Amino acid sequence: MDAATLTYDTLRFGEFEDFPETSEPVWILGKNYNALTEKEDILSDITSRLWFTYRKNFPPIGGTGPTSDTGWGCMLRCGQMILGEALLCRHLGRDWRWAQGQKPREEYISILNAFIDKKDSYYSIHQIAQMGVGEGKPIGQWYGPNTVAQVLKKLAVFDTWSRLVVHVAMDNTVVIEEIKRLCMPWLDAAESAEAAVGGGVNGCLEGACALSEEETALWRPLVLLIPLRLGLSDINEAYIETLKQCFMLPQSLGVIGGKPNSAHYFIGYVGEELIYLDPHTTQPAVEPCEDGQVPDDTYHCQHPPCRMHICELDPSIAAGFFCRTEDEFDDWCMRIRRLSCKRGGLPMFELVDSQPSHMVSVDALNLTPDFSDSDRLERFFDSEDEEFEILSL
Amino acid sequence: MRRALKVLTINCVCPPAIRQQEVAGIRSKFPNKIPVIIERYDREKFLPPLDKTKFLVPHELTMTQFVTIIRNRMSLLPTQAFYLLIDGSGLASMSLTMAQVYREHQDDDGFLYITYASQEMFGHSKPL
Repeated sequence: MDAATLTYDTLRFGEFEDFPETSEPVWILGKNYNALTEKEDILSDITSRLWFTYRKNFPPIGGTGPTSDTGWGCMLRCGQMILGEALLCRHLGRDWRWAQGQKPREEYISILNAFIDKKDSYYSIHQIAQMGVGEGKPIGQWYGPNTVAQVLKKLAVFDTWSRLVVHVAMDNTVVIEEIKRLCMPWLDAAESAEAAVGGGVNGCLEGACALSEEETALWRPLVLLIPLRLGLSDINEAYIETLKQCFMLPQSLGVIGGKPNSAHYFIGYVGEELIYLDPHTTQPAVEPCEDGQVPDDTYHCQHPPCRMHICELDPSIAAGFFCRTEDEFDDWCMRIRRLSCKRGGLPMFELVDSQPSHMVSVDALNLTPDFSDSDRLERFFDSEDEEFEILSL
Repeated sequence: MRRALKVLTINCVCPPAIRQQEVAGIRSKFPNKIPVIIERYDREKFLPPLDKTKFLVPHELTMTQFVTIIRNRMSLLPTQAFYLLIDGSGLASMSLTMAQVYREHQDDDGFLYITYASQEMFGHSKPL
């Protein structure tokens, strides 16, 4: 770290307000804390999250591209943070804590290596920026929460170590059947094998056994990302309570979003304030050591976390959830259903059992302008209404 | 917000009383259709404008079907963000029918107003 960066960071760190002394409950990624009696635990939990920030002096993206993401990479970094949290839950568990200077676990080093700023890490800024080109975002362009969610979904396919299913629920709708098929693909394979063999039990078992080596044979761990728009220019207040409830679910991975132009990774709330990790500090890129160890101090936020009023939130967000097992997913569905029955908040998304059939076979619908006889007649007599387009089923 | 939108798009060409009459006329002619006005969010940067904004839609059409129609019109990829905000404020619940949404959210003038928008992008300095 050079002198200028040190001074800058020292100055910045001085600005951070201490965590509030309040009797209001504090929620961090599904865990409830008391700010008066558990302050140490709160800070230790937050410091244990992976903190990805702007970096400079990394190898050029695509060989000749940018060597820093300052100014444009904040949503990409937030994407790394929410997926980083998923990998911590997947490989180390939600209760794992970072201990500075202690010899880290093997899995932790592998997770960190997946995000190091070089071209061949699974989820490096290089990979995310380059995969974004396919989403219509040239390298260096700003991303939205959906953009980075779509890119992470594509990148996760190559991470054969974690074997995650990253599902991005579109149109503010989560379809249970769709997710179960993704997390248990062998059910489909078994069905078709059964059909091919003519209902033979052998085909079915073979399909299942091929993946039974580890726990993921039953259920591939699910990262569910739900991109949303909770208003036009400001968040609709009817969503505030439901948004808070997101952080109270044990499956919570937090929310990526931000204030206008600045992306943040929201990990919880206290009172009317959201608690977040901020990627807007430029740190020098870190080189892994010869032995594969990574100097990791700068990957954990060691100052009190940032807070902002919930009303300042830009309405474009993506909420994230992690379900390690099918039971955890069923539990999540049950909790979401229970919440949607409660009054006092508008549901942010809808949970449905199966894909509505018309979603798949849109072409089967006659959704062109209506030419049924009566309507055509009406249109004929009412030509001043030609501004209306008439749709029929 | 919804007033502001309407002033921008509809009111300037058509005062409320006339719109009310228009709706009454269209409702009596097409009792099985719901009058919907779908507007592009005025700060939308990514989604294209629609050539038609006034629709008469069947009561039993679901929001999913309606979204699919609009998505197809705009030739959007399934992975592109697209949201319908009823009355400019709340997300449309996809399993509801147009009649259900209309019952809850119809405007005083008899139209159902829906605004479409994608998502904001986040960055600090000018994009490269």
